[in-house]
Amino acid sequence: MKFSQAMMALAAATAMQFAASPAAFATGKMKCDAGPQSGWKSRAVLEAQLKKDGWKVKKSMVDGGCYEVYGVTPEGQNVEAYFHPVTMEKLLVSQRGKVIFKK
Amino acid sequence: MLRILNIPQLFWVLLAIPAAAMITGFVGDPVTAFDLVHSSGEFSIRLMIIAMMISPLRAIFGRRLWLDWLLARRRAIGVAAFGYGLLHLLFYLYDMGEWGQIWEEVAIFSIWTGYLALLILAAMASTSNNRAQRALKRNWKRLQQLVYPAALLVALHWLYVDGELQAMAVHFVPLLILETARIVLMFKRRSARNAKQALTG
Repeated sequence: MKFSQAMMALAAATAMQFAASPAAFATGKMKCDAGPQSGWKSRAVLEAQLKKDGWKVKKSMVDGGCYEVYGVTPEGQNVEAYFHPVTMEKLLVSQRGKVIFKK
Repeated sequence: MLRILNIPQLFWVLLAIPAAAMITGFVGDPVTAFDLVHSSGEFSIRLMIIAMMISPLRAIFGRRLWLDWLLARRRAIGVAAFGYGLLHLLFYLYDMGEWGQIWEEVAIFSIWTGYLALLILAAMASTSNNRAQRALKRNWKRLQQLVYPAALLVALHWLYVDGELQAMAVHFVPLLILETARIVLMFKRRSARNAKQALTG
């Protein structure tokens, strides 16, 4: 295979990699000892509670056995926050990498 | 037929395909802006690093067909890196959605390093043409050498936005290794040349 062909194939593969995989976000900043997932409150419950508290939730996921939430705090800060999936306790909040709350 | 693959315009099109996919996805569902901030940033950094690797690779390997091929496309790669950086900024601004919040974040280290890096890249991209090269003369090269502080700013931006080392390091360490090798070779060649001159001079 000529080098130019290999480069074109690499470029196409890279483009396809983007198309195939949505952003991988789980950053692994927190670990929770929350037991089996059957005992967890659902993410929807957490999101509903946060919304009631004045948060805007952009995205939530499971990370390190905790719930990780990307959203906007009532104070208007864009943050990444970790919550315990059973107690729903706020564990860590960081704004663009700067930790603004840690339990 | 294979000659077609070497057409410069085709290379530009290939560089633009991920951007087209991102923009299409965004137009279809604007909520994805949040995800697209991440992927557009990654594309920008990867292209910038690829462009930056060409010179150290040439220093190490000398004249090679594949390096000549990359060198001929370095300008396109660099401009594309800026393009994805701009897309990254636009998705970020859209996702933030509010000028007050946007302005407040400018003071955060992880954010202003990004802005500053993009400004440098903008200056470089806007002068990435033959006309500017002729007009700026020796200053043109000096301007393009701002890629080094820009790369440092980008590394810091990514490191501090993530709050952890992994992703940034995976991308920047190879470049760092190559640049170190280039510098070492430069000093070796210089001292060899000086020794030779001392002998024959």
